[in-house]
Amino acid sequence: MDKLIDDEMLVAQFQAGRQNAFDELMKRYKSKIFSYLLRSVRNYEDAEDITIEVFFKAYRALEHWQPKAKFSTWLYKIAANLVIDYHRAKARHPVYALEDMEIPEANLVATDQYSNPVKELEEKERGRIIREAVDQLSPKQKAVFILNRYEGLQLKEVAETLGMAEGTVKIHLHRAMKRLQTMLHSLWENNEI
Amino acid sequence: MPKCKKSEGQAIDYASKLLSTAEAASFEQHLKNCSECKEAVESFTTLLNLTDMAEQEVALPDAALRDIEMNVYKRLAATQQDESLFSRVRGYFANIESLFRWHKTAAASTIVIAMITAAVLVGELFQPEVGLQLTESQSADARMEEYLQQDIQRHLDDAMITHHLRNDAWETESHLHRVQEQAQGTNWMKVPQTLSVSNTIKTAATGY
Ligand SMILES: [Zn+2]
Repeated sequence: MDKLIDDEMLVAQFQAGRQNAFDELMKRYKSKIFSYLLRSVRNYEDAEDITIEVFFKAYRALEHWQPKAKFSTWLYKIAANLVIDYHRAKARHPVYALEDMEIPEANLVATDQYSNPVKELEEKERGRIIREAVDQLSPKQKAVFILNRYEGLQLKEVAETLGMAEGTVKIHLHRAMKRLQTMLHSLWENNEI
Repeated sequence: MPKCKKSEGQAIDYASKLLSTAEAASFEQHLKNCSECKEAVESFTTLLNLTDMAEQEVALPDAALRDIEMNVYKRLAATQQDESLFSRVRGYFANIESLFRWHKTAAASTIVIAMITAAVLVGELFQPEVGLQLTESQSADARMEEYLQQDIQRHLDDAMITHHLRNDAWETESHLHRVQEQAQGTNWMKVPQTLSVSNTIKTAATGY
């Protein structure tokens, strides 16, 4: 399908009964939604389930969708709401699992056979510490930070996605950055990295 | 050193590349003479480099990603609430060829599993023909014709699904093509407006 066809056009085609249009939309957004969810819940299985749920909900709601906002923003909004539900459910039924262990980091480190295994381990450990710090942010701070920084959403789009004013988004983003700095500055100030 | 009047937020926005070109240029002028802001920008830039690195380490699992579409359709089929769903599921399978093109590695088995699921669900969707309402004015002949057509179509659909399931070795695209052609030949892809029912069946039906 033509890459030049914009998302909203595909939605219109889908609404007119063209099934392929939805397949194309899934193809375009599944990686993005999946990675957003993986960063939000830090668990592969749950991220996969929620990704499926996002498109399931989108499919069923798309018939009546009005192009008030970008399709992508709308899709992220569905995902963001499901993340809220997920954390709410988790808070009610906490699972004490070593979920962070599920994130494979092995393939990230240099494959050079002469590389230093101690250094590799340190780098892995550093990545884990940093992600844990991101996870320590409040849900709103984390959502704003991830959507803006890793999903490439403009502040205005983040605002629409999370149902906040743009100014509020900025406040959360500033707080997120300051908090991360407080949590992590020792990493670079003590030359640990 | 006097405390700078600029907010830390501006250093954050600058490091995060959220300032407009004009704002950034103006802030850069300020940075030339303000070590406090310069230090803040350096600190936040380092922070972002670190978080970028850590978050980029989060790799997406290929297998799960590949099966998203299939799983979405399974999920949709499982709800059974969408009345036109069957035709959509069918439409999706009609497009399965393009799926093959995207993911050459997609094992035939994945598709077959989805087919089985679809077949099971389709079977369920088919069973109750509750929506069928015939008016009094319709003749018995017309009624029988209608039932017959529905029945024949149902059998054709079932036959096609079974055919797909039996051929569980969809290894090549050409094989897939063949199955699709066969499907088209039997009108599997389209529900026909009229179905040519043989005279024998007609006679048998009307004489019923
Ligand atoms: Zn300053």
